[in-house]
Amino acid sequence: MPGLGRLGRFALGLVSLALGTAAQAQEKPVPPLVFTGIPDQDESRLVERFGKVATYLEGKLGVPVRYIPVKSYPAAVTAFTNGQVQLAWFGGFTGVQARRAVPGSQAIAQGAEDAAFKTYLIAHAGSGLEPTKDFPKAIAEKTFTFGARASTSGRLMPEYFIRQAFPGKNPDQVFARVGFSGDHSRTIQLVQSGAFAVGAVDYSVWDLDTKAGKVDPKAVSVIWESPTFPDYQWTVRGDVDLTYGAGFTEKLKGALVGVTDPAILEPFGRSKFIPVTNAAYEPLVEVGRSTGLLD
Amino acid sequence: MPAESRAEIVLENAAASYGGRTVLSGLDLTVRAGERVALMGRSGAGKSTLIGLIQAQAPEKVALVPQAAALVRTLSVFHNVYMGQLDRRSTLHNLRNLVRPAKADIAAVQRILDRVGLADTLWAKAGELSGGQQQRVSVARALYNGRPILVGDEPVSALDRQQGARILAELAQNHETLILALHDVALALAQTDRIVVLEAGRIVLDAPAQNLDPARLSPYYEAA
Amino acid sequence: MQLARPRPGYAAVSRWFLAAALAGLLVADLHVTTLHPWADLARLLDGLARPDFPSVEGWSVVYTVAFAVLGVGLGAGSGLLLAIPFARSRTIRLACAGLRAVHELFWALLLMQVFGLSATTGMLAIALPYAGICAKVYAEIIEEADLAAIRVLPVGTGTVSAFLYARLPEVAGRMRDYTLYRLECGLRSSLVLGFIGLPTMGFYLESAFRQGRYAEAGALLLVFYALIGTRRLWIRGWTVPLLLAAAPLALPPAIGNAAISASLARFLGHDIVPTPLRGAALAEPETWARLWSWLRPILTDQILPGTIQTLILAQIALAATALGALVLFPLTAKRFAGPLGRPLGRVLLVVVRSTPEYMLAYVCLQLLGPSMLPAILALALHNAGIVAYLMGRHADAIPYRADAPRGLNLYAYETVPRLYGQFLAYLLYRWELILRESAIFGILGVTTLGFYVDAAISELRLDVAVVLIAATALVTVAVDALSRGLRRSLRIDTLPTRLSGPAPVAG
Repeated sequence: MPGLGRLGRFALGLVSLALGTAAQAQEKPVPPLVFTGIPDQDESRLVERFGKVATYLEGKLGVPVRYIPVKSYPAAVTAFTNGQVQLAWFGGFTGVQARRAVPGSQAIAQGAEDAAFKTYLIAHAGSGLEPTKDFPKAIAEKTFTFGARASTSGRLMPEYFIRQAFPGKNPDQVFARVGFSGDHSRTIQLVQSGAFAVGAVDYSVWDLDTKAGKVDPKAVSVIWESPTFPDYQWTVRGDVDLTYGAGFTEKLKGALVGVTDPAILEPFGRSKFIPVTNAAYEPLVEVGRSTGLLD
Repeated sequence: MPAESRAEIVLENAAASYGGRTVLSGLDLTVRAGERVALMGRSGAGKSTLIGLIQAQAPEKVALVPQAAALVRTLSVFHNVYMGQLDRRSTLHNLRNLVRPAKADIAAVQRILDRVGLADTLWAKAGELSGGQQQRVSVARALYNGRPILVGDEPVSALDRQQGARILAELAQNHETLILALHDVALALAQTDRIVVLEAGRIVLDAPAQNLDPARLSPYYEAA
Repeated sequence: MQLARPRPGYAAVSRWFLAAALAGLLVADLHVTTLHPWADLARLLDGLARPDFPSVEGWSVVYTVAFAVLGVGLGAGSGLLLAIPFARSRTIRLACAGLRAVHELFWALLLMQVFGLSATTGMLAIALPYAGICAKVYAEIIEEADLAAIRVLPVGTGTVSAFLYARLPEVAGRMRDYTLYRLECGLRSSLVLGFIGLPTMGFYLESAFRQGRYAEAGALLLVFYALIGTRRLWIRGWTVPLLLAAAPLALPPAIGNAAISASLARFLGHDIVPTPLRGAALAEPETWARLWSWLRPILTDQILPGTIQTLILAQIALAATALGALVLFPLTAKRFAGPLGRPLGRVLLVVVRSTPEYMLAYVCLQLLGPSMLPAILALALHNAGIVAYLMGRHADAIPYRADAPRGLNLYAYETVPRLYGQFLAYLLYRWELILRESAIFGILGVTTLGFYVDAAISELRLDVAVVLIAATALVTVAVDALSRGLRRSLRIDTLPTRLSGPAPVAG
């Protein structure tokens, strides 16, 4: 059937066309700065927060800025490692993953709250668990949900605390059932509905969702507050100075630290952004190794 | 054959056509209870179509032996024969018999198979039998059906004349009325009492078998 | 040789499969971990009943079609080229088996590493497995074609000329039917790619389902059904060139560009190279010892349990598909459904089979929580819909005798026994497809092989992910071979198995 032969040639032509346009885009004088963020909570909130950041940065930096949404934590890291995005709002652990994969990349700013971030363990009212100061060992044998697999406050740190509280056991051995909800908002919903008795959740998302009236205090409550650890940060690739001119990284850092508009900060659940360096996240590398999530 | 016995099948001015081609036209035929009728004629004369019309006249009184044996090849001989009475048993019983046949039914089917010379094949798969055996299973199904009018479309075509005669005798013993499409003249003359010959969709001869002989019938077969 | 060694019959094979599925049920995790599945289902159905059409992102519909058209175009084109040497070259057969044994979502996850979230990723994720499938099916079509014309060609006619003159004209019609059917599959694949981030309808469906915006999800679903339902109107021989020409113009604009050559080099030269081999001296026995100690826990802790769970899920889903199909197919058969019921039955089955099983599984998992139960439901619904639809067509083509029984008696004594070989052929063929999907459902949280792939990708251990995907492909190929062997031994290997096949003829 000649149609098929033509079809094949057509498709081949199209690929070269697609690759050609890609090449053309790179030749443009100033390619847009593209950024993404880990999808850690309700998408509508992500679109709101990152849309505002894009407009703000475009005004401050004088280059076009685009946000590209992703569906999962590793997809955000992948977009950063293959160069599709130059800037990303990572969690503590995904930031470590990304910077290890892209030499020269730097953490430049974190939320003021991220220097001492916390995980909440939350429990369904029917579980009979009460708030405690020390790690609540009574959660053993309950059903338990993490957030995303690569989440810092929803996976890495809680798993670390669990392993410390139950030496020699992994979460599968501690709990009756272990789930990964995918994001913090979903974790809250699952524990609130009773689908899981206990969950580990990002304290800032808990606060945001509580403020938004999405949390029923009669059904779900915080039973434990973790020790603090470093979390979210803006990480930028090392090659942006080459693309946008020397000093661009500093300019970007200045722009982020200089955000004062509460309309931008509020959807992040942050009071302001402060400068940070890669070294601040070294403790997470150790935690990652000890839980087997990093080599 | 008592002339006053009731009419089982009455066709008046019957016609049939396939895709615009007339197969039967202006056909009148009455078959009375107790008659043994042979339908004869060249292939293409309309015998099978007439068989279809007859069956459709009184489906609730007819046990049919279709031209192709129409067996379910994946089922056993028992099940194929048992199918002759599906409509007279409860569906639940039928479903149960598919999985675990009832003893009484097995015995009944076995008796029927004995009569057609298939005693050893009760649990054989129908698809694995020879053509002649399959045809006898088809006959057995009609025997088991037991309805008074047996309508058969070449029911013994795959058998030798002796075997065929035996099978036709079984049918005659089992069913009050026989209407059979046959091509074997000797068999027809010996086993039936009325010969109806079709040609080009019309009845060209309808006479008692005892008044006929092979010579009289041969014109209808020559050049066939 | 009729008296050869005894072969397993239909009943025996059916019993084995049913017994295996029952055994699977004993060990399968069937918990419902959500508390209000019925309330959520009610909200979902309410959303379907009151769809919010203005919220549908129009471009996502366009992108869904564009990815499907280009992906299938590219896949079918390469498939045709590969089909010519397919019968002769073992290498090509193996390569094609490998291509199609990897699910398009796994392909997409790998391609994303290099091409980013781009049209290229979407297109290739469809094109690669489809090239493998099309090559195989085209080769089968060519093989089944009438050879009379080829025998009378002058001696010395070139391979290509012989193909173009004596073969292609014989097979073009069936190839066209199959390719158009593939385009329908491509639409489903394209939608599902949205679930991992490409901008097709699946992207918005995922968001809508996740956040419980069921009116939007309902609208998206109805638009998708309309797209599939009207495919015969807009996918035709003469519209294909138009679609192919328009599709590249309708692709989503690139947002940021992955550095392809650098990423490709890193991906092939570093990321997927097993950690112990990276920059190691390959001559040292030490290196290989380290490779083994790296590989062993992957085998015992991930591949083994993942494979067992995948096989169990596929087995139960297959048995459920079989039972579902037996119950559903009378809905579309003339003798059972009647003139009013049959069109309704058809619509029901077309809707069920048009729904991508991955999306069904996603929805069921949202409703019931992550266990095998929702995965079984999704697989059984989708596949039973397909098998029942095909069986319905065969049931209508059976020449019943004039005095055939009716109703349940006809069903149990005539229809099912007559179609049983065909039924097994369809099921055994779908076994491999069900297995491929079972593995991928791991991404959604069921502990099949995809679960471990998802974990490896989350931990940025692409070397582990590639080993797991290769293991998945091997299991798929093995089940495919087993299915073929069984079909041959049951002598049903020549019966039709494909959805695109010509309608069965009476006789």
